Amino acid sequence: MIYKIIQKRKFFLTISSLAVVASVLALFFWGLNFGIDFTGGSLMEVEFTNYKPSMTEISDSLKDANLHNLIIQPTENSTILRFKENTEDVHQLVVKKLQELAKDKPNVTFKELQFDSVGPSIGQELKSKSFNATAIVFIMIIIYISWAFSKVSKPIASWKYGVAAIIALIHDILFILGVFSVLGHFYGIEVNTPFIAAVLTVLGYSVSDTIIVFDRIRENLPKSHEDFENTVNRSVNQTLTRSINTSFSAILALLAILFFGGSTIKDFALALAIGIFIGTYSSIFIASPVLVVWEKMMHSKK
Amino acid sequence: MSFIQKFSKLSARAKSGWLLGLIIFFAIVVGLTTGGNYYNNFSKYLAQKTNQIVVLPLVTELPFSLGLDLQGGTHLVYQADVKNIPEIDRAGALEAARDVIERRVNAFGVSEPVVQVNKGMNGEYRIIAELAGIKDVNEAIKLIGETPILEFKEQDTTVKQITQGTSSSSTAEVVQDWKNTELTGKYLKRATLQFNPNDGSPEVSLEFNAEGSKMFEDITGRNIGKPVAIFLDGYPISVPTVNDKITGGAAVISGRFNIDEAKLLVKRLNSGALPVPISLISQKTVEASLGSKSVDNSLKAGLIGLLLVSLFMILYYRLPGLLSVISLLVYGLTVLAIFKALPIWLALVLVITMIGLIFYTFSELKIFNGTLAVLFLVIGVLLFFYAQQAVTLSLSGVAGFILSIGIAVDANILIFARTREELKLGKSVSQAVDSGFKRAWPSIRDGNVSTIITCLILMFFGTSSVKGFGTTLFIGIAVSLFSAIVITHTLFVLILGDWLEKRTWLLGVRKAKIEETK
Repeated sequence: MIYKIIQKRKFFLTISSLAVVASVLALFFWGLNFGIDFTGGSLMEVEFTNYKPSMTEISDSLKDANLHNLIIQPTENSTILRFKENTEDVHQLVVKKLQELAKDKPNVTFKELQFDSVGPSIGQELKSKSFNATAIVFIMIIIYISWAFSKVSKPIASWKYGVAAIIALIHDILFILGVFSVLGHFYGIEVNTPFIAAVLTVLGYSVSDTIIVFDRIRENLPKSHEDFENTVNRSVNQTLTRSINTSFSAILALLAILFFGGSTIKDFALALAIGIFIGTYSSIFIASPVLVVWEKMMHSKK
Repeated sequence: MSFIQKFSKLSARAKSGWLLGLIIFFAIVVGLTTGGNYYNNFSKYLAQKTNQIVVLPLVTELPFSLGLDLQGGTHLVYQADVKNIPEIDRAGALEAARDVIERRVNAFGVSEPVVQVNKGMNGEYRIIAELAGIKDVNEAIKLIGETPILEFKEQDTTVKQITQGTSSSSTAEVVQDWKNTELTGKYLKRATLQFNPNDGSPEVSLEFNAEGSKMFEDITGRNIGKPVAIFLDGYPISVPTVNDKITGGAAVISGRFNIDEAKLLVKRLNSGALPVPISLISQKTVEASLGSKSVDNSLKAGLIGLLLVSLFMILYYRLPGLLSVISLLVYGLTVLAIFKALPIWLALVLVITMIGLIFYTFSELKIFNGTLAVLFLVIGVLLFFYAQQAVTLSLSGVAGFILSIGIAVDANILIFARTREELKLGKSVSQAVDSGFKRAWPSIRDGNVSTIITCLILMFFGTSSVKGFGTTLFIGIAVSLFSAIVITHTLFVLILGDWLEKRTWLLGVRKAKIEETK
């Protein structure tokens, strides 16, 4: 049974183009909902004399304050709190809540030692360097694929495989950014340091997934009696089970994190799951169709 | 030699037996490295239960290096002295100082520090640096706070005249009046350690950026025949006399230090000078922000993830799936072992065993060539290097590791899918397995090499968490190449035989179907 995937390329490419346009628009109008790692926030140091509250006690007492990115770090005799909000209203609310925590205990007094604003923990350098690194990754991958596929430069040049892989990759990254822009706008899901790691994981996963489909094309082309389009379609079909199985097993691992890993890394697991899914989708429905479109375009020119 | 000759005469199965022994040895070593504490507890328990009859030797327990969120660390607060900086530039200068501190901390291998600018109520600026699990706080303070202030000074002729006019003190004092030039460590592009070709003494060579090169050219141009002093932290460390105008932007600081001092200076110069002076105002130890509950949770998630992936592999791929699960277990133990800071001998044993087994398996498969040898040697050297360093595991790092369990089976999925295809073409099981490995290899190679390229770029061009991420991903990919190919192949060869040829359903293909496609 062979699915007609490449033959229906117009349909898939249109859907993906629309998704990418929607992602870019979402990013343009809503941007990403950056968390404390990017924006900075407040740092508060408090002390309870004669008493050391547990982290759960503090986080429970602050539940109503709805603090974003709350991090509680106990020290020897004080507690450091970090959160995204830095308005005076929120500050007073937090003080009030913590005073209540001390109130019903004998000999326990609450003291605020410090309340300041803190800057982002993601510096300018990390941003610019990550950006440069990504650009270098694009170039190196095109070079590597051109070299690895140099034996199959007909009917289309080997570097075009590299460019097609990068097109699929850019599609994936824009899509994840778009999804998180929407999630951030409507559900308040924030983007922090782990999100960068998630995007980078997808960077690696998407390309290797695409290459495995291309590799089958490389193997089939020299001995194929069909035209380019059908050869590509057959190759995509032959690798379909593998593509689905690998992403399925990766998503199984992520499901375990999502359901059993605690609340702090749920957003991270979600970003990875979306990324793995879209990376698999693009290797089948974008990268290979792009190759065929390119080949057809060259034909019509001649 | 005779051993190798004897070995090459053995049957494929006997060879695999030897290899299996080596793999079991490997698995025991990585198992003891990763779970040394569990093993020690067990052997103590056993000794107690058997009245000291069964006494197993204890192993050294190596700790994982956990991130700030999982084990806490040191919280340092620095006050920045901004009085010489115009109000408008302060935020920018502090941001730059933040980056320098982060770079310094990372240069010493402390991963994933949190460094933040902190603006107080009264407008004072502070920098907060939090370092995970630093044992020696003074060491941390030293590496952050010591600012290498590199200055280039020329003789101050105006001062000289005034001092000569107002006092008749010794001229030696007068000559030491130096005036700052515009050139400072800010314009440094790179510092490297080199050795004087004449006497072999260590030197630090400096390379300026374009702006700095121009300045250096001007300074040397206007000081021909006069001394120019290089000051480090306020002290002249080198006072060469300029013979000629120096173009090209390179200078050398020589003398007065031993190799270790020179190395340290290079490290400090390369991490950049702080744009603002800072002083430590408080230090305290912070506990983990995520309790032991979240460590337990992620451990549980890891085990469940492993279980789900294993179930899927066995249900879908049957017997080969079971083999891949064994490989996956070794994969997990090996990656976790490499995350720890291993002693050099252990790193060497692990890497040599892995590379040796890879070379052997690939030559058995007859797909070994020079390019592959180079590829695996490069991977081996990098792995050896990173095995000796600790990888800091924060909660998201642990999550990344769990995900890697799901991805590590990819190579096996490729191989098994190919094996099934070959079986359906009517090949015997042993032929199908052999060509399954051979034919899947180009895909595995190109897919993984492209990811390794990505990792290397992130490792060498990224900073902080991006760098750490590249490293963990690299370790995962490298180990999965070993586990999915070498271990699975060895196990496969061991179970091949007539019994399996008759039971192809164990490989997920019915005999009837094979006949059909024939």
